[in-house]
Amino acid sequence: MKGYKKYYGQKIAWYLITFIIAVVLNFALPRLMPGDPVSAIAGQAASGMTDAQAIKKVYEEYVERFGVNDPMIVQFGKWAKAAMHGDFGVSFSQYPRTVSDIIASSFGWTLALQLPAILLGWLLGNILGAVAAYMKGVFDKVILPVFLFISNMPGFGMAVIMLTVFGIQLGWAPTSGAYGFDLIPNMSWTFIRSVISHYQLPFWSIVLITIGGQAIGMRSMSIYELNADYVKYSRFLGIKDRKIVGYVFRNAMLPQVTGLAMSLGTMMGGALVSEIIFSYPGLGTTMMNAIKGNDYPLLSACTLVITIMVLLANLFVEIIYGIIDPRIKAAQQD
Amino acid sequence: MKNTLRNIFHSPKFVIGFVIFFGLLLFTFIYPWFVMADPLEMVGQGNFFKPGTYVSVKDTVDSKYYTLNIQAKSANLGDHIEDKDKADMRDWLVNYGGVSQEEMDAADDNTLVALWLEHYDSKAKQKGLLASKKKAFVRLDKEIQKLASDADMIIAQENEDGELEETASVDSQQYVNTRDISNKRTFVLGTDNFGRDVLTELVQATKVSLKIGLIAGTVATLIGLLLGLLSGYIGGVFDDVIIFITNLFTVIPSFVLLILITYSVGQNARGVTLIATVIGATSWTWTCRSVRSQVISLRNRDHVNLSKLSGHSMMRIVLTDILPYVASYVVMAFILQISSGILAEAQLSMLGLGPSTTTTATLGQMMNWATLYAAHLNGSWWAYFPVVFVITIIAFSLNLMNTGLDQVFNPQLRD
Amino acid sequence: MGKVMLEVKNLKTKYVTRLREDVYAVDGVSLKIEEGKSLGVAGESGCGKSTLALSLMGYYFPPLHYMSGDIIVDGKNISGMKPDDVRRNVLGTEIAYIPQAAMNALNPTQKIIRFIEDVIHVHDPGMSKKDVYDLAKERFGILGLPEEVLQKHAVELSGGMKQRTVIAISTILSPKVLIADEPSSALDVTSQKMVIKMMRDLMDKGYIKSMIFITHELPLLYNVTDDIMVMYAGQIVEKGSAREMVFDPLHPYTKGLMGSIIVPEEGVRENKLTAIPGTPPNLKHPPKGCRFADRCKYATPTCSGMEVPTIEMPNGREYRCLMSERKIREVYENE
Repeated sequence: MKGYKKYYGQKIAWYLITFIIAVVLNFALPRLMPGDPVSAIAGQAASGMTDAQAIKKVYEEYVERFGVNDPMIVQFGKWAKAAMHGDFGVSFSQYPRTVSDIIASSFGWTLALQLPAILLGWLLGNILGAVAAYMKGVFDKVILPVFLFISNMPGFGMAVIMLTVFGIQLGWAPTSGAYGFDLIPNMSWTFIRSVISHYQLPFWSIVLITIGGQAIGMRSMSIYELNADYVKYSRFLGIKDRKIVGYVFRNAMLPQVTGLAMSLGTMMGGALVSEIIFSYPGLGTTMMNAIKGNDYPLLSACTLVITIMVLLANLFVEIIYGIIDPRIKAAQQD
Repeated sequence: MKNTLRNIFHSPKFVIGFVIFFGLLLFTFIYPWFVMADPLEMVGQGNFFKPGTYVSVKDTVDSKYYTLNIQAKSANLGDHIEDKDKADMRDWLVNYGGVSQEEMDAADDNTLVALWLEHYDSKAKQKGLLASKKKAFVRLDKEIQKLASDADMIIAQENEDGELEETASVDSQQYVNTRDISNKRTFVLGTDNFGRDVLTELVQATKVSLKIGLIAGTVATLIGLLLGLLSGYIGGVFDDVIIFITNLFTVIPSFVLLILITYSVGQNARGVTLIATVIGATSWTWTCRSVRSQVISLRNRDHVNLSKLSGHSMMRIVLTDILPYVASYVVMAFILQISSGILAEAQLSMLGLGPSTTTTATLGQMMNWATLYAAHLNGSWWAYFPVVFVITIIAFSLNLMNTGLDQVFNPQLRD
Repeated sequence: MGKVMLEVKNLKTKYVTRLREDVYAVDGVSLKIEEGKSLGVAGESGCGKSTLALSLMGYYFPPLHYMSGDIIVDGKNISGMKPDDVRRNVLGTEIAYIPQAAMNALNPTQKIIRFIEDVIHVHDPGMSKKDVYDLAKERFGILGLPEEVLQKHAVELSGGMKQRTVIAISTILSPKVLIADEPSSALDVTSQKMVIKMMRDLMDKGYIKSMIFITHELPLLYNVTDDIMVMYAGQIVEKGSAREMVFDPLHPYTKGLMGSIIVPEEGVRENKLTAIPGTPPNLKHPPKGCRFADRCKYATPTCSGMEVPTIEMPNGREYRCLMSERKIREVYENE
């Protein structure tokens, strides 16, 4: 138990440091922009607005928020304090909505879309890789290569093809948004049905491109494990192949768990861009709008939320991993 | 070394990937020799012209005519009336035109039009048909009248008195040879939203994107290799610092860093080379990690110790005793980084953070414009599908090369 | 004469390589072990001794293939049995195996007791977890292994402990024949001694009825087994009692293996084999005549021209050479 405590203590401390560095980067990077960022951003932001009140409000907001004359560290203090209360200021492009409000409404969509899609893709990929390694034949020679080819496709490419084929040509599912444009979010059956049917294309496009990459990793791991000495030894003690395959896949699966954590950031990046194709109202689309509208506070909040999501997911995976893999415990005792 | 190369080129996967990749690269260099048009020239006035050969109408009129015994009318009827309209026509004729269902089922396009011309009457009683639908049928009728007419077409010119004077009459059996027409242009993949030739633009964009991939891959590999070698070989505090930074940037998504950095450099500074360098500078961690662990396992091998005892400089030991052993990993990482670099550029461009330049196109920008102009929603497949295909085939060829190398260096994975 | 526990008659097995070439790794091996006896098998690496160990179990999977010959365990011929039957009825109970590299022989993520349950349940699916635990605890106790080991994962054990655990697991079903493939080679001296002691205990206490002990360290066998057999290029070149083999080798290869080794006293070991110049023949295309001819300093042209018969001596000793016993002694005498 002592080993575990040390392990988790270290992990959590490490993630806290990483989190702080991520926040600092998020704060500092845009301020390294050449010239005076505040007037540039505020000027650009206000140029699209016609409402004089709004322009003034934005400008004041900026001057107050950035405290241009304060030293960097004081600015950071103010910014961080407000951010801790969930206050990221007012959006330029969607004035008068606050950044927190926009993030709150898009975050859920992204989470509900990507988390299940990536997990399902990961699971199916692992099953396919294991089956390809163990059964070989058609799985190894046909199905796996097909999914490998698909996984080389960029996320938005898969999205656009799914949209054209299943959305437009076959008309199986709606092509844009998260629910019918004529509906108001509520808990009625019509609305839920609409959400589910809008969910299909983005969901499966993420699942499909995730499978191949996971499958090839799992295949390699499984082949490696199938050749391990313990497999031979277990066979010579008369243990059934079904049971041995169980050992093998459990062991091959463990590195795949860490693999998932490590590639999560990349996967999310791809999936966020896919959202744009489907005009899905998640963080990806919000981020694109923020960039197009030069809406710095919104963009920075989006990237921060994404970073936190990835960090939490990683931390979660490491905690789970510590429990399911006894090798971690053993390493702590050395 | 020679042996390794021979093995590599005996791996079918590697060879296929290699041929596709370098074939594509070569194509981007050869294509401009044959098509010298400016890839970003806005040839078409309007969005998304479909693929095909466009000939000048005026030239057609001025060209020499040949009379061919081809029934031009029936070909027109078949091609120019849409399937939906045909179905509508059949319905109308059965419901209001007094044509029997059996006769209708047996009718081909020509008979259908003949029946239509014979039976359609806009004044007939059309019970249960919406007014708008009735009007649509009238329009359809006019269209069909025109198509079905085989009267000569008169070409007239305005004379000095401002009157029209017949210069020629063309009947439906007259043809021109396309060789006689001097003004024509083929758009193999149509045009994009700006009226630019998609194929020519695509070839140039592929070249630029490959350049981005190569720069990004080189930058990432150099940083990763250097830091990995040093931290693995020197160890100690230096190693701790490097490993901390590496872990840090493995967990903070490089995608987020890319967005923040490209956004913060500002629109004006965002050139192709800069974007490529930034992509490379945010994706070196994997190389660094694997090089480092390799170096640590090599550090205490006999041949390295021998070199140390012989008093060779660190530089020399790293270059001659360590580098050759990590080379295979580095090459494999480099190959993967080219493809992820190209993908990263495409994703950035989709978000509106791609290279901001008006003189070149990239695959990501082509995709971005196609999406902004809703090519995927209005059926202009030629504006986005070739782009997706090129990105996929580049990534696929690089991955094949990588898998081939992996199997050469790790024989266990062979089939 | 005791009851015969294992009898092997003219066993031939082969490897099929990735390039579909045949490698005749065990080529016509015959042997016999009685109850309570142990047999040592020695030879250079690549001589086919590990393949022999795998072949003796009668359970084949690629790249190893059975060709011909009989394996009779306690009067029952297992060479013609279906693989599933072998696995269910022979492995673990009749014949048990201790692998070469115990470091990786245990599934790293499984608790030792869970694995013992799996092993026992193959042969006795109804045994309760508690009974399994009690049996394992008792056996571990007798063999001097701490009970806590049962609740640990393989990764948490040291190398020596892992090897001893593997031995305990292999013999938990009290097999009639135990085949140990270099069980002590990868260990430090202390652990090696413990392992050897354990093997002896197992024999003495009757948990195993007979044993084949494979190693490349010939002198080690002198302290452990009753008889010794020397293999070269897939064939037996000499077989005899441990004493005879060590003090009075007949075959030039055995002589070479013993070479300059000082006659081992109890507990004193020299573990270097004298290098015999040259390399063993390619077993993809084994030579027609004596396989050792190329490296043998007494070889004559006849040696590589004809198949060399095995000479059986009245006391049960065997050797495979064209020279007569008298001639051999004469040659050795004159050196």
